[in-house]
Amino acid sequence: MNLDDALKTFINESRELLEQMEEALLGIEQQPDDAELINGIFRAAHTIKGSAGLFGLEQIVAFTHVAESVLDRVRDSLLVIDAELVAILLASRDHIGSLIDHLAQGETPDAATHRQGSELTERLHRYLNQTPAAARAAMPVEHAQIPERETGRVADTDNWHISLRFGREVLRNGMDPLAFLRYLGTLGRIVRIVTLTDDIPALSELDAEGCWLGFEIVFSSEADKATIESAFDFVREDSHIRILPPRSRIAEYLRLIDALPNEDMRLGEILVRCGTLTPAELDSMLEMQRQGDATEHAPIGEVLVEQKVVQEPVVEAALVRQKQIKENRNAQNASIRVDSARLDQLINLVGELIIVGSSANLIARQIAHPALLEVTYNMTRMVEEVRDSAMSLRMVQIGATFSRFQRVVHDVAQELGKDIRLEISGGETELDKTVVEKITDPLTHLVRNAMDHGIESRAQRAANGKPEQGVLRLNAWHESGSIVIEVADDGGGLNTEKIRAKAIERGLIAADAGLSEHDIHQLIFAAGFSTADAVSNLSGRGVGMDVVRSNIESLRGSVELLSQAGAGTAVRIHLPLTLAIIDGFLVGVGRERYVIPLETVEECIQFSVTELNLASGEAGYMDLRGEVLPCVRLRDVFDVRHSSATRESIVVVRHGARRVGLVVNALYGELQAVIKPLGRLFEAAQGVGGFTILGDGEVTPVIDVARLIELSAGPLHSRAGGLPAAA
Amino acid sequence: MGALVKMDNAATEVRTRQEPEQYLTFLLGGEMFAIGILVIKEIIEFGQVTEVPRMPGCVRGVINLRGAVVPVIDLSVRFGRPVTEPGRRTCIVIVETGEGEARQVIGVMVDAVSEVLEIPQADIEPAPGFGTRIRADFIAGMGKVRGRFVMILNVEQVFLIDEMAGLDTAETQVAH
Amino acid sequence: MGDARIQLGQFVIEGELTIYRVTELQQTLLDLLRRCDAVDADLSQVNEIDGAGLQWMVAAKREANRQHKPLRFAGHSRPVQEALDLCDLGAFFGDQVVISSQAWEGAGS
Repeated sequence: MNLDDALKTFINESRELLEQMEEALLGIEQQPDDAELINGIFRAAHTIKGSAGLFGLEQIVAFTHVAESVLDRVRDSLLVIDAELVAILLASRDHIGSLIDHLAQGETPDAATHRQGSELTERLHRYLNQTPAAARAAMPVEHAQIPERETGRVADTDNWHISLRFGREVLRNGMDPLAFLRYLGTLGRIVRIVTLTDDIPALSELDAEGCWLGFEIVFSSEADKATIESAFDFVREDSHIRILPPRSRIAEYLRLIDALPNEDMRLGEILVRCGTLTPAELDSMLEMQRQGDATEHAPIGEVLVEQKVVQEPVVEAALVRQKQIKENRNAQNASIRVDSARLDQLINLVGELIIVGSSANLIARQIAHPALLEVTYNMTRMVEEVRDSAMSLRMVQIGATFSRFQRVVHDVAQELGKDIRLEISGGETELDKTVVEKITDPLTHLVRNAMDHGIESRAQRAANGKPEQGVLRLNAWHESGSIVIEVADDGGGLNTEKIRAKAIERGLIAADAGLSEHDIHQLIFAAGFSTADAVSNLSGRGVGMDVVRSNIESLRGSVELLSQAGAGTAVRIHLPLTLAIIDGFLVGVGRERYVIPLETVEECIQFSVTELNLASGEAGYMDLRGEVLPCVRLRDVFDVRHSSATRESIVVVRHGARRVGLVVNALYGELQAVIKPLGRLFEAAQGVGGFTILGDGEVTPVIDVARLIELSAGPLHSRAGGLPAAA
Repeated sequence: MGALVKMDNAATEVRTRQEPEQYLTFLLGGEMFAIGILVIKEIIEFGQVTEVPRMPGCVRGVINLRGAVVPVIDLSVRFGRPVTEPGRRTCIVIVETGEGEARQVIGVMVDAVSEVLEIPQADIEPAPGFGTRIRADFIAGMGKVRGRFVMILNVEQVFLIDEMAGLDTAETQVAH
Repeated sequence: MGDARIQLGQFVIEGELTIYRVTELQQTLLDLLRRCDAVDADLSQVNEIDGAGLQWMVAAKREANRQHKPLRFAGHSRPVQEALDLCDLGAFFGDQVVISSQAWEGAGS
């Protein structure tokens, strides 16, 4: 356990809450009356404020408090939410986000952030001053409604009484009881405090990391009960917390005492000592306790009904509600937060298991013992299941990533003066968390690009007989072991002739190249196609579609563009589900063996040496069913010694638009490869993307096909033959 | 954290004695070298090393060390000398350099491992500016052992990742 | 150890007096109490204290009382003082709390 961990959790949770807040804020524009959305926004702000208080993050508390107050008014229908308020609240959300970013980076916010904060605070305050502080009155009324039947006596105090018994694990969970007291101090004034140290065991027996502290506090505050209660949100589960409002009935104090049976005498004294009760009040209370023994153990609900304090249906409704809350909480608890490093560790171990398993298989086959073979067969199946469920732990839904684009679309549409709606589907599609993290940038680029260049201006859309509101669609689905993510717009589509002209101008294709329309469209991903003058302020910043492509290819994915003139453009990204384990194809060159990612392998060809016009040390070509296939000897590219070219085979690999025949000596077949990262020493390695360990324990390089093709085939325009049709 | 309990009372005795450091000595091209024992994780027999294509000569390849892929450095090539021919006594010394993010486990190929020696600080002289046949910055000091000089290697410098990865071309030319 | 003089154990707590340290301090103090007749704990270098630290102080004081050996906390740094004030525990310890400039500096480091 570590306080840093707790802070990290706070940062992560706050970021999640901010995302939810953003989503709800964007949703509220469409449905301004949706109480659940408003509540969601309020809760997010409230929770962030509360947690920030625990860590003593004054700046976040102070700012969020103002935003929360405004939201509270919206919730109480004292303020109407409109586009302007949404904009301010979005900006406030961003400001909280940047405060948290600063915190995450361990730096204090800069002057610009401060300025932004005070500007926003001022704007928010304007909303607070609009209506009289009517909401304040609500609190005392609530208490006045409580029937004073149980006893006519009311404790004569204007202060709250707070009774705290912290749970044993509180400290170990990264919370500090003292921090709660400090936070309480921000809500009001601690008039008196008695620290209960009775529970602390003797030093020699003390579990010093357990929490043994309790406090009885007399508290003076204008805050309402919910606010005071929320101070203890983080420890409510395992701690005893009782909060009695000012002028509570003496019976309430009695109940407080009953709830802590081991301490009743002492607690009574403490209440007197704190000044919460007078000695006379304590006496009357103890008297009540003696009399009330018979009913003490009945559930509180029954007691209340029995005493005709509340009517049965009310209790029932309350119980149902309580149950719902409990169920809700259970559903929340069904997911747990796990350090991703631990998951990686698990995946690594599963990787080891696969390697060891395949050596066991190898040996079993060599010995050919039937019983052993059966056992290893079963084991292999189990290991595969373990692998799949371990991998599934790292899988996350892409929906959260998609939702983030609501904001991008909202902002960019405003910037462009276009009316664009984002439609999301397939958000439940799962993929590896590492992949998700790396896909956000290319996706952002594609989304901006579609909005900027794809979707036409309102006027132009109207002229073309299209609805003024453009539609941008984010979609995801699974397709044969990989995931497809699509960014589609209903814009004008690509201008094929313009692209062809530009590609010829840039020397990417020959002037007379006979390319299909589809092939021409793919050219926008070619390096050197998009240039500064094609880059607008929004989608560009000097980053072209070729960077999108290479980002995706570095994830061993591919990208494809579909466009229909007048109807729109769709960019489809194909990605592997995971990065840690791949299907590979094992080949041999001389004594060396290499793994080629199976998804890049198109076919394998046996050939006689005469068919290949390939001198040692240089690239050549072969005739593959009438097409010219550039070929390269892996032996030459990788400078392999001891290579006796007795037999040669060609593995045709494809990456993006390029296809190359790799000449190898042996084809060993398919295998499952656990990818080991290269390590710092090999970061600059050329043509090798990682390592894997084979069943016999030997380390084998995994070929980085994209880089290898670059190394062997040279730049794109020197390539002969047509572009292959994308899958 | 860096927080310490200081116990200055009469009844407690603290502070560890400054002990002479221990070194592993080994042979390479007929010369004796030493590496501080603290960076050494283990010593294994030279076995199957997988070559990694297109890497500088000093990177001999990679091995499988109980499931981890560990690079193996040909120290002789790193010193600008010929490629090490594996023999009966050839070993791979597994060393760990750097801390935190920069931590790196490396296998070092040597002709033969000799012994672990204690070399008192007093018997270590600073590296001569010239006169050694390997780069001066590779040497942390010259230890005197039984009347002979042993070159104590500056591990951080010898196993500088960027240099070994081939960014220093002078090095790789010697290797080929 | 065979000395007839009173063995005074002294120790300085540097840095944080928090959950990260309390288990170690628990042992340290038990050791000192076993070997010494009186113990002085210098708190001037404590720059952070939490609930666990406070608990430790309470348990330490009680243990010393049980063994009839004086345990004196001295030189309370600002964070320690603040924590004691927050919980109104100053009286419990009954140690002399001196606000020295040194203590304030210790708190800042």
